[in-house]
This record gives sequence, C-alpha cells and structure tokens, in this order.
Amino acid sequence: MIGRVPAFRAVVLVKPLPSVLGFLFSAWLACSAIAAGAARLTIAKAILTEDDTPKRALVAGLAGEGDEDVPALLAAWRSDQLFIHAAADGAKVPVQLIGPKDAAEAQEALRVDTGEPLRDASGKPLRLVAADLTAVEHDAALRRAMKSVLDVAEIAARDPAKRRQAIQAIGFAQNADKLPALEARLAIEREPKVRLALREALAVIRLKDSSDDAKLAALRELRELEALSSYDLIQAALKNAGAAGQKEIAAACRATLAAIDRHRSSVDFFGTLFRSASLGSILLIVALGLAITFGLMGVINMAHGEMIAVGAYTTYLTQSVFGGGVTIPCFGLSLAIPGMHLGGWVYQAYFLAAIPASFLAAALVGIGLERGIIRFLYRRPLESLLATWGVSLLLQQTFRLTFGANNVQVSSPAYLSGNWTVNDIILGWNRVFVIGFALLIVFGVWLVLTRTPLGLLIRAVMQNRTMAACMGVRTERVNMLTFGLGSGLAGLAGAFLSQIGNVGPSLGQSYIVDAFMTVVVGGVGNLMGTVISAFGIGGLDQVLQQYLPTWAPGLAGFPLIGSFLQNLAQDSSVFGKILVLALIVLFLQWRPAGLFVTRSRSLD
Amino acid sequence: MKLTTLLRTGALALGTTLAAHAAETVKVGVLHSLSGTMAISETSLRDVLLFTFDEINAKGGVLGKKIEPVVVDGASNWPLFAEKAKQLLEQDQVAVTFGCWTSVSRKSVLPVYEKNNGLLFYPVQYEGEEESQNVAYTAEAVNQQATPAVDYLLAQGYKKFYLLGSDYVYPQTTNLVLLEYLLSKGVAIENIGGGFRKDGSGNIISAGKYTPFGHTDYQQIVAEIKQFAAGGGAAVISTLNGDTNVPFFKEYAASGLSAEVCPVVSFSISEDEFRGLPADKLVGQLGCWTYFQSINSPANKKFVADFKAWLAKSSVPGVVKENRVTCSPMVLSYVGVYLWKAAVEKAGSFDVDKVRAAWKSGVSFDGPAGKVATQKNMHLTKNVFIGETKADGQFKILKSFNNVYGEPWLKGKFKAKGAVATNE
Repeated sequence: MIGRVPAFRAVVLVKPLPSVLGFLFSAWLACSAIAAGAARLTIAKAILTEDDTPKRALVAGLAGEGDEDVPALLAAWRSDQLFIHAAADGAKVPVQLIGPKDAAEAQEALRVDTGEPLRDASGKPLRLVAADLTAVEHDAALRRAMKSVLDVAEIAARDPAKRRQAIQAIGFAQNADKLPALEARLAIEREPKVRLALREALAVIRLKDSSDDAKLAALRELRELEALSSYDLIQAALKNAGAAGQKEIAAACRATLAAIDRHRSSVDFFGTLFRSASLGSILLIVALGLAITFGLMGVINMAHGEMIAVGAYTTYLTQSVFGGGVTIPCFGLSLAIPGMHLGGWVYQAYFLAAIPASFLAAALVGIGLERGIIRFLYRRPLESLLATWGVSLLLQQTFRLTFGANNVQVSSPAYLSGNWTVNDIILGWNRVFVIGFALLIVFGVWLVLTRTPLGLLIRAVMQNRTMAACMGVRTERVNMLTFGLGSGLAGLAGAFLSQIGNVGPSLGQSYIVDAFMTVVVGGVGNLMGTVISAFGIGGLDQVLQQYLPTWAPGLAGFPLIGSFLQNLAQDSSVFGKILVLALIVLFLQWRPAGLFVTRSRSLD
Repeated sequence: MKLTTLLRTGALALGTTLAAHAAETVKVGVLHSLSGTMAISETSLRDVLLFTFDEINAKGGVLGKKIEPVVVDGASNWPLFAEKAKQLLEQDQVAVTFGCWTSVSRKSVLPVYEKNNGLLFYPVQYEGEEESQNVAYTAEAVNQQATPAVDYLLAQGYKKFYLLGSDYVYPQTTNLVLLEYLLSKGVAIENIGGGFRKDGSGNIISAGKYTPFGHTDYQQIVAEIKQFAAGGGAAVISTLNGDTNVPFFKEYAASGLSAEVCPVVSFSISEDEFRGLPADKLVGQLGCWTYFQSINSPANKKFVADFKAWLAKSSVPGVVKENRVTCSPMVLSYVGVYLWKAAVEKAGSFDVDKVRAAWKSGVSFDGPAGKVATQKNMHLTKNVFIGETKADGQFKILKSFNNVYGEPWLKGKFKAKGAVATNE
C-alpha cells in the first residue's frame, strides 16, 4: 500500500486541473487499485457473496497472502467497521469507515476493494454515517475462518501470547501446508514458551505424516513436551495406528498418553493446591471480621453478610464515580451521583480507591449498628441474634430499593483480569491478588491487636470488661471501635468478592453460613484458629471436588448403597459441600470449642 | 378508565367480584411470583400480560367481552402456587390462567388444573416429558431450543461438548435428552464432558456436571473445562440458572477461555436475565430461543415500541420502567394470550373443553417472532433462533430454523449410531 497516500493527496491537487489530467489520474488510480493487491478484491468479493460456504472459502483462501491489508481489514470486519454502501446505480459497495467523526457523525469512507476513498458521481469523496449503513455480517464460522487466516499472520505478531495462540490453532488444524511457516519461525523464535508451542504444533502436524519415522519422532517430541492439548489428537492417532496394525506406533502413542496423564495428575494436584489457597483466602477474609465481632466480642451478628454487601456496593459506587456517575433512588428522592468520566489507567485505579472506601463505609454502618442496637444487647445473645437478623433483612431490602433487585455490574480492572499459566496450572490474577491481600489483612489485624494501644484496650475489654472499666478504660468506646473494625473487614471482603462473584442484595446470604462455620471450627475468640480453619475448609472442599469423581468407582463396592454413593461422588460440587459440612459436625462433636480453645470470662 | 385501573391494581386480585361487570368482562388469571427469588423474572411476565390484555381490550376484547385480569402472587413458594391456582379456579372461576415459570411450580399446580378442568398457559422453556390436557405449552420444548443449538454447533464443526447445569429437573432432563441426541449424531461418549451417573445395571441416569443454586466457586469446574477444551473444537452447553452465571462467567474469562476458544451456549440467559450479568464477560457466547428482541421485523419493532409505550404510562404498582427489554418467555406469554383469544373466537365460547378442541383443531397467530401455530399435543410450532450475545445485552441472530414442531416426548427418541460404549 505505497500508492494510497500519494493518490489521496493527488485528489486535492487534481481537482482544479483540466479533464485530461483527470482522465490520466483515473487511469493511474485504476493501476494503483491493481497494485493494491488481489487480497482486497477477494475480501470485497467475500463480503458480497451471499452463500456461507463459498464466502468462508474465500476468506480462508486469504491465508498466506502476506498482504498487510488483510489483518487490518479482517479485524475491521470482525469489529463491525465494514459497511455496505448502496451506490446511486444500485451497486453494493463494501466500505470501511475510518478517521474521526465530524459534527454530523460522518466519517471518511474507504472502498474495501481498492483502498481508495469512496467518491460520488462527481468524484468528490463521500463521508458516511455508520448508523445509516448496514454493517457487514459475520457469524462464528466465518470468524473462525478469519482467525485461521490471522493466525498465520500472527505467527510473527509482536505479542508472544498472541504468537502462541496462533501457533496452537495452526497445530490443531494439522495441516501439513503450514509446516514451512512454523519451521521458519522456530529458527528465529527466542521466547521459550512460544518455542514450546512451535515444537508442539510441528509435532502434532507430523502425527499425520505418512512416514512412520516422522510419526515416531513426533510422538517422542510430544512425550517430552507433555503436551496436554494434543491428548485428543494422539488418541486419534492411536486409533488409526490400531486400525492399520502399526504396533510400534500404537505403543509409542500409549507411552506418550501415559506421560501426559502423569503430567495431568501433577497439574491437577498443584492446581488443587492453588484453588484451595484461593477458596481458603476468600473464606478467611469473609470470616475475619466475624472472628472479631463474634469471636472476640461474642456478638452473634447475623447482619455480618450485609456488611460484606455494603463493601461490595461501595466498590460499585466508587466505580461509578470514577466512570459515568449513577443515579440511585433514595427514600423517594432521586440521588444523582456525578461521575468523573475518567478513562484509561486512572479509571482502572478505581479498585484501589474502593478498598479503603469499602472498609470505611462498612465500618461506619457497623458503628451505627453497634450504637443503635447492639450495645443494648450485650450479654443477651438470643436477643442480639434476632435483632441483627432483623437488621439483615432491613439492609437487604434497602439494597433492593436503592440499587434494584438485579445484580449490579462491577467490572474487573485490567490488572485483575487475566492469568499466569505456569506449567499448565492456571493462576488467575484476581485469585492471586485475593490470596496476597488476605494474608496482608491478617498480618494487619494481628499488628493492630498486638502492637497498638487500641489493640491492647480491645484485648483487655474482651477478656474482662468489668475489670477493664475499673482500670479507667472507656469500654463503650472500645466496643464501638472493635465492632467497627470487624464490620470494616467485612466491607473489605465485599470489595474482593465483587471481583469473583455477583453483587446483589442477597450477596451476604451466600457467605454468612461459611463465615460462621469458619469461625466456629477455628475456635471462637482465636484469630489464628480462623486462619487455619479457613485454609483447612477451603482445602478440604477443593480436594473433595477434584478427587471425589476419581474415587467414585471405588465406592461401587459398598454393599447396597454402592451405586448410590458412586453417583453422589460424581456430583462432586454438591456432595463435596455436604461432606465438608458432615465432617465439620463430626469435628465439633469431638472438639466442641473448635481447633483452638480460648478461655475467657466474657465467653463463658 | 379509572375503574379498570383500580381493578388491575388488585382490588379484584383479592377476590372481590363485581356482579355488574360480570356480563361484559371475562376473568383471566395471572399466576406469577411477584415476590421472592423468582420475582425478578416473573414480574416481567406479569407486565407483558397486563400490556397484552390492555391491547386486546382496546380493540374490543374477546367475543365482545373485556378481559378482566385477576393477578395473584405465587411468591416463589410452590405449595402457595397450588393454593392460588385453586383460588383462581374455584373462587374467581377464571376462564384461563397465564402463569408459572419454574417447572416445580407447574408440577405443583398441575393436579389443581386437572381436577377442576381449568386451562393454564405455560410460557417458559421446559424439559418436556409432560402433556397435560389442561396445560397449553407455549413454552419451548427441548427440541425447540436445546437440539437446534446442538445442530448449529455441530454444523460449525464443534466435536466435544461439556454439559453443565443447575441441579434441578429441567437441566437434568434436558441433558439426558441431549446426551441421546449427541450420541445419535455420532459424537463419541468420551467427547461428552461433565461426567455420568449410572443405575445398578449400568444405564446412564444423569449426564453432565451440576451445581446447586447459589453456587459461588467455579474454579474446579472451569479448570476441568479448560482441560476438556485444550485440544480445540469444544463447546459448553449450559443450563446454569440465574445468579450462578456471574461467578461462572467471571471465572471462565479469568482462566483465559473465550467464545472463540470454547463457546458457551446457555439456555437460561435471555435479554431479561442479561440485565444482571457482566455483559463484557459474555460477548460472543451463544443463546437459543424462539424470540430475540433484535429480530428485525416490523411486527417485532411494533411490539417492542408498544410495550415500552405501555410501560411509560403504566400505573401498575411495582412496574420497573427503566432499561426494560423483551425476551422469549415474555413473547410466549404475549402470543399465548392471542392464541387463547383465537381459540375462543373459533370455538365461540369460553368453555375450556370447547377452547381446547379449537386449539387442537389448529389456530395460529402472527407474533413478533413470526407465525406460531397450535398442535394437537398442546404445544406450538414456532421459529427457533440462534444468537450470539453482544456487549449491549442483545443478541445478534446467527441462524434461524423455521416452523419447528414442538415435541415433548424426547427421551429414548434418538437412537445412537452403532454400538455405544457405556462402560468408559
């Protein structure tokens, strides 16, 4: 596309010149259209083809064109930036709209087939409005065809992750035509992960090779690579080899499959470890606040879940303030919160602002709850249980009236969406972040409780309220701050949960039972116990989910209820949860006070 | 006008009868959950029904009689549904009822309608295996949603299918039918993911992976799907309900899976549910319904515009006016009312037996999604659409199947090609 820019400039110059020059120019224009390459013509033709199959074939044929327009045009097609313009003579002309929109929303229009600006009868460039045109359609099959074209182009993409994806896609297709392109790339590729993907793709394609030696070499390679993704293709090769009676290849296939199976079980094992840590840290941040309000203060706070929801909704509001603002109905009034309309990384930073905001919001609500209700009910656990349950219902309904019964959308900032894949184990960034933050919060709470004057007062009041009061401690104030701290921690949990689950009026209800369970198992009044029980319960849950189905066949041997047990074990996410609860009940029978027993007068 | 408003707002819902009105009006029951967990979905159906009644009344009503709605609240409480149904039939003596969303609520009112010979119009996709003479199933049968979606995926070249659902009767039954269907299409059983449960003699009694309502931790399941889809050509068929879709799709996106790597076709996410889901995480995922709001036809545009205009000036308490959309269950409620009207007019009577006979003899209506026609088995022949989700919560229609016959009895209908190894 060297010809395009000068041609466009020429238009401006040519206009006032005599028609002879105009003729010459248009002849030259036609030449440059040919120079623009067959790729553009093919794409234009594909756009205008009605039937799906030839359309797909046209697009697929673009692979290896090497024309630099192809990726850009296909990307424009996929993102609905190509349109059909009905010319005055009734002909359909595919156009691409580019450049900034003017006051009438119109943009510059380029013909897809030539790359030249679209002109009206008098040769004046037309400006078109996207909303007036029909966007060129594309369905999933067509997008896959485009993707395979782009994949070849993307072998050389700048982003290693894109390169890898493209290479994998080519490998799965097992098309021997692509071998030279991959080999050429392998010779110059530096990135170790991409090299692995290249080797795998080459080996997978060679599985289809006609020569036995190439197949065996490919299988050896795959065995060395422990390539999970080629499992199905190796199985297919094994079937073919079995059918053709090639014993040597069949044996090599089996050995490769066995190696991949071993690799898979180690991936499962470490994956389960990570998932355990992740679930454990979620239980931990959910339960930590409760460990203070229930564990230390002895208040059975049924509204703890709603404190979590307060945190989550605060995150939503912070996001709205950073973004486009939000209008919420508030006691019959419509409260408009203006947004700052930020973009880019400043907007993305909303989550960092939401963390302290959600802590403060939940802490304030907690302090209000303590001053308004709970302080009258210390030492009356039953009444405080009922009263806080009432508060919980009240808050839920308030959320419903203010934010609507539907869930609200909290988007994940870029730094929390995505993952690291280490040796086939997926480590989601949001999960890693939650694990790290949970540990940080525990450390922070430990610091506050053991290394600050407030912590000293809290511990003193919780151990013996009357004696602390005698020593001149303002126990009322300490109670208030302690409850605020516990509620604030719940608010923090809400901020994190907004990243992995839904934010709705009943958010708190889904976590309240887990929170109580964790605190009770850990031992009421003991933070360390809560930490250990959170990771213990999380781990148990994930291990059961992962391995119950594999143990299922073994359960069939049970007399009478064998097949029933086996079926239960298959439903690991349901049965796993039941088993965890059953084990906790048994555990509490054995140790009613939980893992760590705290002796304190206030808890008697 | 004021009187009808008053009636609608619930004076009649309490069972008050106005003798003076009995001559010119016909009572019609609306039995949906207006409170509790199902209220989010079912309130939309109440709204669209009241809109339809107003539309019909404005044009002279049915057989010259105005429709007088009797709205009762099932409150997401299944035994209460049966009580309310009894009240509608015995006390208010409604000519017909439009109602229910969940299968369990339908099963709970079914005996009441059969005992009193009432007529219930049921508008939400369901699992089939039922054909009561007292229910008009305007809903999608499994072969009007699940199997066309599978046909589409097979045609797109997908070879492996992972079945995932919420743990109740609709996903369980649908997945069993799908299992048979996939096997009959030549998909090998090892390419169907999610696990199987067998009875003592080795027959599969349940297929797919199930999670309870309100499940929040999809890490392990997504990791399993990731491995399942590692070799390419895989799709997820999801019958997950409601809220659980949010943590699922968030986890799905975080693990690097996308619609291009492994698309998810969901049967329980329509435009209405979309209002509570993270749209950016679902772009490109598939849906299959007998109606999409994005259908580009004059009839549909008029329907959407009329409904929005009605919402704007509606005085029904509790009607949400902002950000409203239309979806398949709503349109099936809408065409249900018109089909009932057509059947009544054909029969010349409101009598349930005569209306049923008219239904069975065949009536049809040109609705927002094209023509729907009644069948002898109390179901409907209608068009089916496959769409992919866009960031604005609407669907882009990819394919349509015209005039699909509603078939409730699908278990055991599809025979596997060749011998099937069930001992994997």
